[in-house]
Amino acid sequence: MSDLVIETTGLRKEFQTRRGRRLAVQGLDLAVPAGGVHGFLGPNGSGKTTTIRMLLGLARATAGSMRLFGQPVPAMLPSVVDRVGAVVESPKFSPNLTGRQNLLLLARSIGVPATRVDASVETVGLTGRDGDRFKSYSLGMKQRLAIAATLLKDPELLILDEPTNGLDPAGIREIRDTIRDLGANGVTVLLSSHILAEVEQVCTSATIIGNGRLLASGRVADLIGAGTTYRLVVPEPDAAKGVLADAGFTVTADGTALTVDSKRPSTEITRALAGAGIWLSELTPVRADLETVFLELTADDTLGREGER
Amino acid sequence: MTRLLRVELTRLRWRRAVLLLVALAVLIPTVIFGATVWNTRPVSAGDLERAQQLVEQETQSPGLQRELQRCVAHPRQYGLDPSQDARTVCEDMMLPRLEWFTQRPVLDLVSERENTGVAVAVVLTMLLLLIGTTFVGHDWNSGSMSNQLLFEPRRAKVWAAKAVVVLLTGVLVAGLVLIAYWTGLWWVAERRGLELADGAVSDAYRQAFRAALLAGFAGLGGYAVTMLFRSTVATLGVLFALAIAGPLLLTILGFPGHLRFMPQNNFAAVLLERTSMTDYSRPECVEIGPTMPESCVVRLTTRDGAGYFGGLLLLAGVPSLLSFRRRDVP
Repeated sequence: MSDLVIETTGLRKEFQTRRGRRLAVQGLDLAVPAGGVHGFLGPNGSGKTTTIRMLLGLARATAGSMRLFGQPVPAMLPSVVDRVGAVVESPKFSPNLTGRQNLLLLARSIGVPATRVDASVETVGLTGRDGDRFKSYSLGMKQRLAIAATLLKDPELLILDEPTNGLDPAGIREIRDTIRDLGANGVTVLLSSHILAEVEQVCTSATIIGNGRLLASGRVADLIGAGTTYRLVVPEPDAAKGVLADAGFTVTADGTALTVDSKRPSTEITRALAGAGIWLSELTPVRADLETVFLELTADDTLGREGER
Repeated sequence: MTRLLRVELTRLRWRRAVLLLVALAVLIPTVIFGATVWNTRPVSAGDLERAQQLVEQETQSPGLQRELQRCVAHPRQYGLDPSQDARTVCEDMMLPRLEWFTQRPVLDLVSERENTGVAVAVVLTMLLLLIGTTFVGHDWNSGSMSNQLLFEPRRAKVWAAKAVVVLLTGVLVAGLVLIAYWTGLWWVAERRGLELADGAVSDAYRQAFRAALLAGFAGLGGYAVTMLFRSTVATLGVLFALAIAGPLLLTILGFPGHLRFMPQNNFAAVLLERTSMTDYSRPECVEIGPTMPESCVVRLTTRDGAGYFGGLLLLAGVPSLLSFRRRDVP
């Protein structure tokens, strides 16, 4: 039994358009382990939403296989759907019904009592406004109602597709805090986003896709390689470079400063230099951010373009 | 499935457009009922008194009196036989009579079946068709269909639950309205002491049953077409084509047996058990009389009409279900 909550192999999706076939996802292998918040990162039009829609049975895959909780989907989707909460693209509810009525309909369809509706509404901070019509809600309230709907199931897996789209800064912070809390409480969250900072702040691991293909996947810290590059300022750069090279570090001179690439702790750098009687004026970890990684990975792809043939 | 049926029933009840259409389904037949009862009301003593006054008023009018004098003086000019008593025949011809002002149709369940009974059935069928259409059109329009499928991904089950709710609601609403309508007319006829033809009441209820089924299946048809096209507007376009443009085209093109495919003819056949019409589009059928061939008359039975509408329902329902199961949901 795999401990992967989401697993896709060779997933492919073609759309038939007036101009021929359009390839949205091409051979995507996605693996999301249980627990934590997993970012699903890619530029607009890279195939994130299409992948999510296929996982949830809203779109049919052209080829490839998908599993949720080890069960093949869409064939076994009914047996696992109660464990999955999802918000796909913008929140979609009946505009003339109140928020509460919308939730009640969904709750009744899975046999959940009305008390769960109250709890969900309270969790997302909509108490007092749940009696208002959905069409009167602000975008932030709509997003919160959509998250409340996912909580009706008490899900083990939460799939959120661009949940902070269109929100004001306060709303964005609230949603991110909610996602972090859910992740910390044992819910596996797949957070689809094109906002790099969001993934970097909220997610523990991430998958980056571009043009419908997997580009990279792993822990966020590993992806951005935090702490592997240091900038040193020393009085004798040439001597220091020699000492560090002898100690096994990769060093490049950058004017009066040195750049050291290493996965070893920075204390080893200071110890090596001190041992040679060279005292540091400055040691700064040069932290690559996800944006840098993302742009490097997607450099070969035209952002937003989907495969056409 | 029971849970899903209850959810869909609640969804239907909570939809304002549906409530409005149900209200119209009650209101319009009520208005038709009221008009029928009013138009067939018996002549009261007050009516007679007013009529008598009108007769006297008309009789005394100078214009009529002048005309009467002229008639008496020159009966031949008025096409009357001069050998008869001119005053008598002229008065007989020209003076107003009481019955001219008191003539009203008598409430007759048999004739109402072919008149207002059909009108009520048509109204209910149209309204319930719209209920079926708007119920699910709203789901597609708002995008909430995908949200529903995130909670119940078995699409055939979702399709069936919605279909059952639309069908049952249609049959129930139309059935109740029609039973109330015919019971009301029966009650009025009884109160007026009218003698009803043999089987008039049972025939009326049988027609109500058939009309309720027609309305229910019309709702189901509207639902199926909307599930196929995913748009209320597209459904209304298709129904317009079926009801108006299609028959018009068949007539213009001289399609043989086109009367057989007219929705209104089949509707009448189901409702009235049988109907007949003359095909005037054929040259040999233009002259009405004993020389007109028997083949000019197209006769349709309930079975023909049921087959026609059943075929249309299958044409809409099967692709609708298959496409809902297979196509991506936005």
